[in-house]
Amino acid sequence: MGVIDLEGLEVRLGNRTVLNGLTGALQGRVIGLLGPNGAGKSTLINTLLGFHRPSRGTARVFGLDTHRDRAQIRAGIGYMPENDSFIGNMSGVRFVRYMAELAGLPAEQALERAHEALFYVGLGEVRYRKVNTYSLGMKQLVKLAQALAHGPRLLILDEPTNGLDPIARQRMIQLIKDIREEGSVRLLISSHLLRDIDETCDEVLILKSGRIAALCNIEEERRANRSFMELETVGATEQFSVRIRGLGCECACFPGGRIKLVIPGHVEARDLYVIASEQGVQIRRMNQRRDSLEDIFLRAMDHEWARPEHVSL
Amino acid sequence: MSVYKHNYRAYTGKLTPGWTRILVLARYGYAEAWSSKITIGIFILSLLPCIGFLFGIYLANNPMARLLLGNHNQRVLAINAGFFLNLMDAQFGPALVLAAWIAPRLITFDLADDALPILLSHPISRFGYVFGKWVALFASLSLVTWIPALVLFAYQGYSSPQPWAAANVPIAFGLVAGAVIWIAFLSLLGLALSSWVKWRVVATGAIFAAILVPAGVGAIVTAVLRTKWGWLLNVPFMMSVLSQRLLGIPDLAGSQPSLPTAGMTAMLTLGCLLCVAMLFARIRAREVVRG
Repeated sequence: MGVIDLEGLEVRLGNRTVLNGLTGALQGRVIGLLGPNGAGKSTLINTLLGFHRPSRGTARVFGLDTHRDRAQIRAGIGYMPENDSFIGNMSGVRFVRYMAELAGLPAEQALERAHEALFYVGLGEVRYRKVNTYSLGMKQLVKLAQALAHGPRLLILDEPTNGLDPIARQRMIQLIKDIREEGSVRLLISSHLLRDIDETCDEVLILKSGRIAALCNIEEERRANRSFMELETVGATEQFSVRIRGLGCECACFPGGRIKLVIPGHVEARDLYVIASEQGVQIRRMNQRRDSLEDIFLRAMDHEWARPEHVSL
Repeated sequence: MSVYKHNYRAYTGKLTPGWTRILVLARYGYAEAWSSKITIGIFILSLLPCIGFLFGIYLANNPMARLLLGNHNQRVLAINAGFFLNLMDAQFGPALVLAAWIAPRLITFDLADDALPILLSHPISRFGYVFGKWVALFASLSLVTWIPALVLFAYQGYSSPQPWAAANVPIAFGLVAGAVIWIAFLSLLGLALSSWVKWRVVATGAIFAAILVPAGVGAIVTAVLRTKWGWLLNVPFMMSVLSQRLLGIPDLAGSQPSLPTAGMTAMLTLGCLLCVAMLFARIRAREVVRG
């Protein structure tokens, strides 16, 4: 049983089919949800929360049907919405306590957890201020605190770094990493920012026009992906490339001394400099890059194909 | 999580039963309603008529006081169903004012800050949300309607030299039933109108308008068409007539139009259904743009 299981999930809003035949099992500890605007990310989250009823197929969270068992699912979910969503005339601690009590915590425990959650996200000193006096970053954090306070099994974060300055963003990312490391909470993070997903997630679901464009395990991709290098050289390029192949690199030479390499894990840039020195070759430029989440995302956007199973990109 | 360690820990304690979440909403709504000094002010003013009626009961049951006032006629200050009907008529207005002030506080704060997605992402249904808010408003309005009325009823029972309370139990039932119908209707109306208006002042005005404008239209209809049915648009009048019948007071011929109880009940039910439809059209976690 995955964290989220989708079986031919179709969601129609009026005459529009917003999600079209999504099938897949999301099993990661931190699942990233990527896609351009209108891809169906928010609709998928709303469906998981039981706000939308699937017109066909099913969606399950921890094996529970998102429509039939929505009350049970919601009891185990912490949700941080993308937009401003709070009760502005309440103090931070009262707001978080209120949400914790709604999630089922007794009043005393809710108050205790509210204080803890606010300290945890870094709002301890301002917890008695009204929420509508908070800055944008603080409002993001208070939304995270209310999502955490009741100790959910699944935390759904919709654009958690939206509108945050670099320092606040880094803090939010660090909080997400800390929660991931604690291990008792699974996370589903929807974001436009590939970097956020890349830093925090171990599995990614990419949506395009309501369909699954890619579903892959980022960790496996990272392990499988290869390191590319582009060199500009002056000198005996042919002999240099022969020596490099001897190290186990795949190598292609181009006019003007340009060489493209695929480097195995045990070879380092220093090895190339040593060979160049021995061959009397000057390396004028070296550009190294890895197959990143951006590559995965861009490939998914280029090719619209439905992939029900985990794919290798 | 802990304050001193600053790390996350899962919650492993016990959870409250699902139905108590409605009480959580009601409790927080009630606290929100009474956190305003204006609410307290309206409440105090609402109790002034009750103090007048309390004084009336005291006078009626104290021969010395009656003697001092030079009133020897027992029928002038009779404490009966008519006395309590006057009390109810006097309390319907303050209840409307209190509802118009409190109802927007319960709903519009949530709407203005778009709190519904967060609230409804918890294990609480839309019905539970509305019912919780309704309970908060109903409880608040009870404080100025049937609760003081019952206190006065009990005081009369205590003050009367005869065993008055046991002989007049139907009056107590009539008091509670009439007040409950009025404040249940007001609560639904207040929440429904507040859910469609984000500004509290406008919502307050809309609640007054929803009661007073149809009453005015009804009066025009009655005058122009020379029919009694226009009174069916006048909710305060209907409530007064219903309360009179619930208290067991017979209609006085010629003093007021005789409306059928079924017609008034049907109008109030229709109004309630309209309010419920308005609430469920508006109270959603997500606005769905269909097309």
